[in-house]
Amino acid sequence: MEEAGFSTVVLTPTHEFHRVVGIPRSAAIEYPYGRPVGQVGDQEGQRQVLLEALSLLEKARKPGEVYHLPFTWPEEPKKTNWQPPEISPIVKLQLDDIKKARQLGNEKA
Amino acid sequence: MEKREKRVDGFRFIPPGLRAWIRTSIPEEDFKGYIPWTPTTKPLSQMTIALVTSAGISLKSDSPFDTEREKKEPFWGDRSYRIIPRATTEKDIHVNHLHINTTYIEQDINVMLPLARMAEFELEGIIGHLAPKACSFYGFQYQSTDFLKEAIEPISIQMKLEKADAVLLTPA
Repeated sequence: MEEAGFSTVVLTPTHEFHRVVGIPRSAAIEYPYGRPVGQVGDQEGQRQVLLEALSLLEKARKPGEVYHLPFTWPEEPKKTNWQPPEISPIVKLQLDDIKKARQLGNEKA
Repeated sequence: MEKREKRVDGFRFIPPGLRAWIRTSIPEEDFKGYIPWTPTTKPLSQMTIALVTSAGISLKSDSPFDTEREKKEPFWGDRSYRIIPRATTEKDIHVNHLHINTTYIEQDINVMLPLARMAEFELEGIIGHLAPKACSFYGFQYQSTDFLKEAIEPISIQMKLEKADAVLLTPA
């Protein structure tokens, strides 16, 4: 899209993916998947997040910078219920690898 | 700059197994390749901004994103896209996405595609304009070259028609 002549900003829940693909302007938000702008019905909170994200269009000077937005989600991760009701097809398929990765992670820790 | 102290943990909401697995495919160091860049040439208050999301949002009057095929072919993701007019609300949409809980978007579209909030910013003069149409695609894509050709290129053409200066992308 940048090549097509647009300035872009990505409001991303996982800014770490930027290390794989390279993103011109990342506004990193520590919110659960599916609700990067904020909570249902929280007009003011959504506005604050958007204003910070949009401000990158004026502030960012070079590609690849990640700005960490200062907001904190009010619920503990386990309570956010962001995951799909049914385990996704790719995760189901990779479940063995996921278990292995977890085990490896535990061993390292 | 006092607000910049927080360091966002993008894995905070991901359960440990999935987190460890995803981490195996993400390098520790920053991206070193070429990143395309279009500098902005005007202040926010004069920009036309378009919204694009990967949340699998479609109008009820349109065909929904195909999640049935993905259930049979887990590496396949629908590569099509949908136009979402700016006046769209949660009442007008379906959300089909196998990787998130879609109910919150169905309750308040703005948590994902903040059309109402951006319309307020337009009214208040914070942004120049919100583009007449937004776009949604489906954010699970393994075959990215085909996807760029089939979805992102036409979305870019659409954004040109909308006279957008900038695009705010909200990945699901």
